Amino acid sequence: MAATKTRTSSFSRNLPAASSAQSPEIKCGPNGTFLVSSGIPDLDKTLGGGIPLGSLVMVMEDSEAPHHMLLLRNFMSQGLVQKQPLLYASPSKDPRGFLGTLPSPSSPKDDKSRSHDAEQEKGLRIAWQYKKYFGENQSNLDGQRDNKQEFSNEFDLRRPLDRHFYTGQHVDCISTKDLPNIAALQERCTSFLSQFPRNDASIACTGRIAIQSLCAPQCESSNMEWEMLSFIRSLKSTVRSANAVAIITFPSSLVSPSFCKRWQHLADCLVSVKAIPDEDKELAKLLTGYQEIVGFLNIHRVPRINTQVPAVLEATTLSIKLQKRRYLVLECLNQAPVDGSSGSSYGTSGSCSGSSSKSGSLDF
Amino acid sequence: MRLWTFILLIGCNRIHILDCYTDPLGWKHQLADSGILPSNSSAGACLFQDVKDINKLQSLILELGSGLVGQGKVRFSVAIDSVTEMLRHVPLSKVAALISDLRSHDQISSIFWLLHSDIHDVRVTTSLEYLSSMVASVESLNQSSDGLSGDLGNLSLLEQNFRRGKFHVRFKRRNGRVRVMNEQFHMEESGIKFTSVTVEDGLVSQGLVPKVLFNLELSEKEKLERARVVLPLEHQGNGKPIQIYDGRRSLAPESMGEVSADTSQSNTEECSNGGGEIIYFRDSDDDRPDSDEDPDDDLDI
Repeated sequence: MAATKTRTSSFSRNLPAASSAQSPEIKCGPNGTFLVSSGIPDLDKTLGGGIPLGSLVMVMEDSEAPHHMLLLRNFMSQGLVQKQPLLYASPSKDPRGFLGTLPSPSSPKDDKSRSHDAEQEKGLRIAWQYKKYFGENQSNLDGQRDNKQEFSNEFDLRRPLDRHFYTGQHVDCISTKDLPNIAALQERCTSFLSQFPRNDASIACTGRIAIQSLCAPQCESSNMEWEMLSFIRSLKSTVRSANAVAIITFPSSLVSPSFCKRWQHLADCLVSVKAIPDEDKELAKLLTGYQEIVGFLNIHRVPRINTQVPAVLEATTLSIKLQKRRYLVLECLNQAPVDGSSGSSYGTSGSCSGSSSKSGSLDF
Repeated sequence: MRLWTFILLIGCNRIHILDCYTDPLGWKHQLADSGILPSNSSAGACLFQDVKDINKLQSLILELGSGLVGQGKVRFSVAIDSVTEMLRHVPLSKVAALISDLRSHDQISSIFWLLHSDIHDVRVTTSLEYLSSMVASVESLNQSSDGLSGDLGNLSLLEQNFRRGKFHVRFKRRNGRVRVMNEQFHMEESGIKFTSVTVEDGLVSQGLVPKVLFNLELSEKEKLERARVVLPLEHQGNGKPIQIYDGRRSLAPESMGEVSADTSQSNTEECSNGGGEIIYFRDSDDDRPDSDEDPDDDLDI
C-alpha cells in the first residue's frame, strides 16, 4: 500500500542492506519508516498503510461508549498473533483476564462472506456511492491466503484468541488501579522498551504497548496531572527511539481542558471515538447503513514521521460498524440521498407551491 | 436543582441497611464509651462508624450481601444513598475505586447510587457518569432562572415541584449506542406515573453533515424571495398578452415582478416592486464572464 515516491531530490536514503529481508508483519513505509498493522485493515488504509514504528497513538474515549476497547482489542490481538511482545496496562484489578476476551483471527472462508453486499440484480447496477465498490476485488483475493503470517488480519470479535498466544513470557500486564503514582508504570514501560532498541541492523522484533484508560477516576494517580503529562512525554520519546508502537486511550472528558490539549499535542496519531444515539430518526435519514453503525471514529492526526508534509485525508470521520456483529469495519460516512421530490430538505413552508398558485399550469 | 436518582428496587423483600449516617466517624460511640451519651443500638441496621476506611466499607458491603443471598448463584444489588455524603469524607478516587470494584464483583448484580449533581465539581459528575452504564437525572418542571428557590409568591410552583418533574435517562447500550429517553413523572397516591415527552434533538445530525461544496440550503428570506419570483416562461394568465421576458430589458412596471440573472457580485436578494429577485453569485471570477465565445474554440485538435 505504500506508494513508491518518485525521486525528487538528489539525496537518497541509505537504507540498511538487510531491510529487504523483513518479516511480513513489517512493511516499508514512506520516508524511511516501517509500518505495523493496527489490527484493523480499514484503519491501516486510512493511516497510509499502518502505524509507523516509534509512534505514539492516542485515542480519546467517549465516556458513553466502549469503542476504544474495540480498537485496543484488535491492536493487541494483531500483536499477539504476530508473536510481538506486549505490555498491557489497565485500571482493572485483573488485566490478564482481559486477554481472554481478545478476538481471534477470522478464518479465510469467513472473509469471502464479508464482501460488501451490493445489490445483485442482473439488470442495471447504479454505483451511486461508487467508492464502496473499489475494495471488492481486493477482498476476494485476500480470502485465498493460507494461515501463514500476514501483515494484517481480520479479527472475529466473537471468537476468543487461543490461549497459547497470550500465555507466555512476552506478555506483561500491569494494573494501574492501585499504583500510588505513575512512576511504577513508567519504569515498566522503559524496561519493556529496552528490549527493542533501534539501530542500523535489521529489525529483530517489535513490541507493542497498550495502555487503557490512562486517567480513569478509580486510579489514585488520576489527579496528578503534571506527573501524567511527563509520563506521556517520556514514553513518547522512549518509543520513538525503539522499534515499538504505543497506544494510549484516555477519557478526554475527565481530564481538565488544558491538560487534554497538551496530551493531544503529544500524540503522533490522534483519533477519537464517539457514541451515537440509538433509534435516532434524524440520523437514520441522514446516513445509509445507520442500523449497523455503532459509533464514529474521527482521525485528528495521521502519523507523519520524518517529514514535514502533512497528510490530507479524504475523510476524517469514519463510521464504526460491526458486520454480523463479528467484524469491525470502518467506513466513510455515506450520506443518504436527499429526497428532493418531497422537499423535505427545504422545509415545508410551501415555497415551491407559492409560485404556482400565482399563475396557471406550465405549458410547454 | 438536579438530583440523580435511581430506579426503585422492587421485588427484593430482603433489604439490609448499612447505616453510615447515624455515626459516620464514630464520635457517638466514643462518647457513649466514655459515659457521656447513652448508647442506643439501632435495631435492624448495621452501624458503620468508620466511613473514611473505604476498604472496610467495601468488605462489609460484600459480607452483608453474601449473608443476604448465601453462597449460591443468587446475586444482590447495592444501593448507595448519596455518594455526595461519601464524598464529604473520602476523596473521589477512592469512591470511584469502590464503585468500580463493586461493579466487577461476581456476586453483585447492579449498583444504584444518588448524587446531587449541582453541588459537585464537573469533574466529579463526569467521573461518576463515566463509571455508570445508565445515567438518570431528575429536574423540576419549572426551572427558576437564577437557581434559587424563589420567593414565597411561588409557593404553588414549589408545591407542584414536589409532585412532578422531568426525568431524563441516558442509557449506554452494550453495542456502544446511547438511548436517550425523556419523560415526565407525577407522584400520585398509587405510585409514580411516567409519561413520555418528545424532545427535538437535531444536534447530532447537524454536526455530522459533511461540509459540501455547494450551499444546498436556503435561508428563510431566500425562500420567501424565491416564492415571489415569476418565472419567465410562465403563463401569466390574467388575460393580457403573454409577455415573455428574454433577459434583456426590464418588464413594464405593471408586471408582476422581475427576474434578473445578471452577473452582479452581490449575494443579497432584494425585494423590488413587490416581486422577488434571484441574484446569482459566481463561483469563480473569470476574466470574461458570460462571454459569447465558445470555450471549445480554444481546443487545438
